Amino acid sequence: MEIPARRRAAEGNVYVLPAVGLLLLLTLFPFLFTLALTFSRVSLVGGLHLSFAGLGNWYRLLTDPRFWTSLGNTVVVVAGAVSLEVMLGFGLALLVHRPLPGGAFFRVLFIVPMALTPIAVGYMWRMLFNETIGPLNALLQAIGLPPLGWVSGERLPLLSMILVDVWQWTPFVFVLCLAGLQALPEELWEAAQLDGASGGQTLRYVVLPLMVPTLLTAGFLRAVEAFKIVDVIFIITGGGPGTRTESLTLHAYYRGLHAFDLAYGATIAFALFLLVVLASLAFLRLTRRARATEVWA
Amino acid sequence: MKRRPPVLTYGILAVWSVGVLFPLYWLVTASFKDALAVHQGPKFLPWVDFRPTPDAWRNLLLGVERETVYGPLLNSVVVGTTSSLLAMALGASAAYGLARLRVRLGPMANEDVLFWIVSQRIMPPIVTALALFLLLRTVGLLDTRTGLVLVYVAFNLPLATWLMHNFFRQVPASLEEAALVDGATRARALWHVVLPVSVPGLVATFLFCFLFAWNEFLFALILTFNRARTLPILIAAQHTQRGIEWWSLSAMSLITLLPAVLITLLLQGYLVGRVLGGAER
Repeated sequence: MEIPARRRAAEGNVYVLPAVGLLLLLTLFPFLFTLALTFSRVSLVGGLHLSFAGLGNWYRLLTDPRFWTSLGNTVVVVAGAVSLEVMLGFGLALLVHRPLPGGAFFRVLFIVPMALTPIAVGYMWRMLFNETIGPLNALLQAIGLPPLGWVSGERLPLLSMILVDVWQWTPFVFVLCLAGLQALPEELWEAAQLDGASGGQTLRYVVLPLMVPTLLTAGFLRAVEAFKIVDVIFIITGGGPGTRTESLTLHAYYRGLHAFDLAYGATIAFALFLLVVLASLAFLRLTRRARATEVWA
Repeated sequence: MKRRPPVLTYGILAVWSVGVLFPLYWLVTASFKDALAVHQGPKFLPWVDFRPTPDAWRNLLLGVERETVYGPLLNSVVVGTTSSLLAMALGASAAYGLARLRVRLGPMANEDVLFWIVSQRIMPPIVTALALFLLLRTVGLLDTRTGLVLVYVAFNLPLATWLMHNFFRQVPASLEEAALVDGATRARALWHVVLPVSVPGLVATFLFCFLFAWNEFLFALILTFNRARTLPILIAAQHTQRGIEWWSLSAMSLITLLPAVLITLLLQGYLVGRVLGGAER
């Protein structure tokens, strides 16, 4: 019945082409257009005119302190938020993945934040962070602690952005870990217990190694998304105070569409793209090595 | 199971639950506050330290603000629904071709095409958004629902294709093969055999796409200003204009969040379906 592959016509092409065509038009073409913009000067007077600008935009990028600030902010948010989300998401999943009275309630509740509209979530946190009439500082003072500069301090504003990201996206890691833990054979826990392993030992030497692929996947998917962070920063601080919470996407948006310097905005955006690709490649290499050592351990 | 003292487990779960719920509680109570309750410093308990008032909701749903909210709400619904239906249809079609048939595009075979489509999800939206601004401007689709729909279809296609591909891999091919052997054309087999069994996958895909389109901010920020702007853009704009009118913006935020919560409750069976089924047996 099975016909050798090379003699079969590419019968599936017709099913794939609409999707591929749309992506070529609305993703690949704009992507190449952005790349072209990074080497151009743009004029919108009397229609769109591009003229060749050589490496001018790229030179400007590398000597622009605000670019390096927003790059640093983005990397800090990605590193801080993703590592916290992986630890907390895994920890919570460990607590509720086995039968537990009320477990279903917690499993549903813990998922909710990741579905919420980021702009509304950002607005919600803007109220919470309000330093004079918001509840967080009032609660701190009620237990005898000094109020904090959640969105006005030196370093705290960036940590506040991490806090919001952790609040919203720990659920994503939680869901993946829950599914991963559930896929482990039930006998695993009993076998480890019979061998006299304590709860901590079972976790460290049996469960954790088996969960490494899930944790890496979850961390990778979160990192790819976290690099794009903009919504909550846009509404909570607008990048401020100064540029202390400005992310790369926000910087590109301000340059491109507020200062209306589209070529330079495109250059910042493209730098973000390169960063994400480099991080992805590094991560894939790392995962391969981690998986290899896991097999040999 | 009896390794940890459950008191500690419940303690941690309770702390996290409070962390999840308190911000939402604050949002809900804020929508029932008036200027006095907001400006006199944080008020925590309705009827205890402030008097709740439905004014914000009344203004929003029946009064002066109805016109402001109505347009963006309609845009969000129309753009979300249309773009998700299209993404679902195109994604399902591509996934079917990739899962069941031979695909060959230049040097790329099935796995390469699937990888290329899915990997588009990695692209940061700002990379294409600035170029799309110029492109849509050139063809006159800036600040139109059509333009936003097209962009959202492309934005959701990687996800839709991936979800439907996973789905088709779990559906046995024997059904449609039987129909083909019986002399049905591929189109008839698709319509009468494949489509009916695919409904759960299509519904889940549609809901995921809708959620992402509904929540999307950056494309809408750059590609719409007025006529086609969606709810997230309304919230962002209102908040810069009116600063601290917490009650009204909280109510708007809750209207925006409501569909997202409903969809999550519908999808949570899909998200943790096996987990719940496994854990409660």
